[in-house]
Amino acid sequence: MAIILSEMDKAFIGEIRERGGFDIRACVQCGKCAATCPLSLAGFPFYIKKLIHAIECGMREEIMEDPSMWACQSCNRCVEVCPQDVKPYEVLLALRRAAVRELSVPGNTIEGLRNYYKTGHAVYPKGYQAKRKAVGLSEEPPSTLSFPEMLEQLQEFLRNSELNEVGLFPMKKEEKK
Amino acid sequence: MSKIGVYVCHCGENIAGAVDCKAVREYSESLPGVTVAREYLFMCSDPGQDIIKQDIKAGLVDRVVVAACTPRTHEAIFRKACEEGGINKYLCEMANVRDQDSWAHWHDKDGATLKARRLIRSAVAKANHLEPLMESSGDAIKSVMIVGGGVAGMFSALDLAEMGIQVYLVEKEPSIGGHMIKLDKTFPTMDCSACILTPKMVEVAQHPNIQLLSYSEVESVAGHVGDFKVTVKKKARYIDFDKCTGCGVCTEVCPSKVKNDYNYDMDTRKAAYIQFPQAVPKKAQIDSEHCLYFKSMAKTGKPACQICQKGIPAKKVAGCPANAINFGQKDEFVDLNVGAILLATGFKPMPKDPFKEYSPQSPNVVTAMEFERIISATGPTEGELQRPSDGTKPKSFAFVSCVGSRDKKHHTYCSKVCCMYMFKEARIVKEKYPDSEIYLFFIDVRTPGKDFDEFHTYCREMGMHVIKGSRVSAIDELPNGNLRVRGFDSDLGQAVEVEVNMAILATAIEPAAGTEEFARKFSLCQGAEGFLKEVHTKLYPVETSTKGVFLAGCIQGPKDIPESISQSRAAASAAAALLIPGKITFDPLISEVNADKCSGCGVCTPLCPYGAISMVGTNGDTRAQIESVLCTGCGVCAATCPSRAITLHGFSTEAVEAQIVTLARRYR
Repeated sequence: MAIILSEMDKAFIGEIRERGGFDIRACVQCGKCAATCPLSLAGFPFYIKKLIHAIECGMREEIMEDPSMWACQSCNRCVEVCPQDVKPYEVLLALRRAAVRELSVPGNTIEGLRNYYKTGHAVYPKGYQAKRKAVGLSEEPPSTLSFPEMLEQLQEFLRNSELNEVGLFPMKKEEKK
Repeated sequence: MSKIGVYVCHCGENIAGAVDCKAVREYSESLPGVTVAREYLFMCSDPGQDIIKQDIKAGLVDRVVVAACTPRTHEAIFRKACEEGGINKYLCEMANVRDQDSWAHWHDKDGATLKARRLIRSAVAKANHLEPLMESSGDAIKSVMIVGGGVAGMFSALDLAEMGIQVYLVEKEPSIGGHMIKLDKTFPTMDCSACILTPKMVEVAQHPNIQLLSYSEVESVAGHVGDFKVTVKKKARYIDFDKCTGCGVCTEVCPSKVKNDYNYDMDTRKAAYIQFPQAVPKKAQIDSEHCLYFKSMAKTGKPACQICQKGIPAKKVAGCPANAINFGQKDEFVDLNVGAILLATGFKPMPKDPFKEYSPQSPNVVTAMEFERIISATGPTEGELQRPSDGTKPKSFAFVSCVGSRDKKHHTYCSKVCCMYMFKEARIVKEKYPDSEIYLFFIDVRTPGKDFDEFHTYCREMGMHVIKGSRVSAIDELPNGNLRVRGFDSDLGQAVEVEVNMAILATAIEPAAGTEEFARKFSLCQGAEGFLKEVHTKLYPVETSTKGVFLAGCIQGPKDIPESISQSRAAASAAAALLIPGKITFDPLISEVNADKCSGCGVCTPLCPYGAISMVGTNGDTRAQIESVLCTGCGVCAATCPSRAITLHGFSTEAVEAQIVTLARRYR
């Protein structure tokens, strides 16, 4: 099926530029980023070069339905090599911001964010306390886990962020016991 | 017995890499007539040439054979060395052991060495028969005829005129200005085309050394470099050129409306018309094909209309206030005598009609040149952006590249300017109407040129959609007048479609109508693609095979404005370099008839491509005679003559036969 360009979402590129991908239009599709991008090496359909062009074409739905953007390894090579100074990784982050707004996020991302809100750690494996103790460390790491007041500050910060507006998971202020 | 010196050049590794130069030199020493044989790294360098000069001065050699590269680029250098050494410069022969041997047989060193011996042997055989020759010279008339008053012709004219050379500028249209004056803006600077060109047009018209022959065509040309005789037809304007003030009254009162070819038939003009508002010269003319006076005179013998001349007294409408209308005017023929001719007749953009897949029947599919007129302030809508089918303001546009270019069905070449003018036209629209949706379809974006790629990226940053990777396959006309453009986006790897209000075709640049006729009239070479051929693409880009005839602008191939101007000024300088010394030297390597041997059969006359041979004498006692200044030394006549009465100097029958016999002998 052909893509009908005139029926695509013409506002999409504007949104991406507002959300941080400001230099996207400088892209001439030279493909240097694609030649180094782990996404294209791994065979994801929307590697960074194509993502940029698809955003310019207004292909919001196609991009949102595809998992490629979440596979970005944040290696930042695309930014290093881009001859047009598009800062492709910034475009990708802007795209993720737009995706989160649409709740178009993978389940484990929501899980990670929930952990982050609750503990200050996105990745929170269980049962580490005993191992820490065995090697002579404190049971909890010297992070928000050890300093509840810091965690409170973080939660306050997150509640006031756009993440709360999006509503991926409830962020309630826990009543002090 | 002649004393021949053989000089074997290594040309760095170019020759020595395949040919055993030492062995070849030793072999050369054994050839009959050879007194000296030497080898050197670069014979064409100063020390290389000095070796030859010293041998001549020392009396060791009186003829020279250089075994090196091509005579096309290097013969003149070695001839000069011979002359400086003290012998006639035509006693020099070259064996092309690079192009014809080492390069061709790079992987067969033994074979290449044998072939080098053979080539040198045959050059030595020929050298034995060389004769000293003298150049002749003739006067050069310090004037130039330039054909074509577009931007190329105009800049050539101004440069030559500034150098004190009399210029005759012949333009077939009523006004000079060419295609450039029709453009709205020019890339990459976005200068208003008319604003930068109009002052130059006026300068051309007012320059004391330029005689402008507008609405004129070259009728015939004879003569030769330094002394061409040209007849120019000044087409009847039916309006007295000197009396006409360009006031435009005739164009207002004229009742006959005609399609306006200046605007590609997108609007109308009158039969009495001034080509465009800034025309130079600003004079009116009557298009006799559509004028009611001429039509009725042809039909009934009675004039049906003379309003431009007499007005309509009953309605108090006045006719020409300058009394300039002259229905009886005839074409006028002007004879010019010029030293050189410069051709700058430009190009024509392809029309849309041959491209049936792009719905040429839709008025909303236009060529880029037509679109240029649509957006131009002097265009059919006076700069108002309107869709041709319904006059509405279009909001979305598709630009289609390579229409007729890079296409074996039409033209194999790249028209070179289309990518840039597509961006330029899109930018004009986008700057005026930022809400416009613009889709540009390219096979690939080609923007080499000063500040060109920056222009391209700027356009992208303006928010234009650039679709690369395919030629548009089809444009379909939709019931609402819109167009569906179908292409393939290689960046997406997917077929794409777009519905737009207007589609603009970047049609190819073609040689102007009549280019072929020019080629014939001036004995010039025409390339397969129809443009006229320069002598050498790199070294002699403005010279032609006819000495004294130069090329400038798109007659030689597609070019943008900066390139056309560069070339036109180069051509002007080449023409000036030829004429300013006042004398022109003629090569002695030309054919001559031995009247005693000539039987007067006349076989040679029609074969000469330069029309240099005529039959002279009366009462059956005619002999062929060659006009030496027209002869280029091609040798067709000498090869044809059944009586062997024609000698091509430098290539006498004896010399060529000696060369062939030696070449054909078995390897030793």
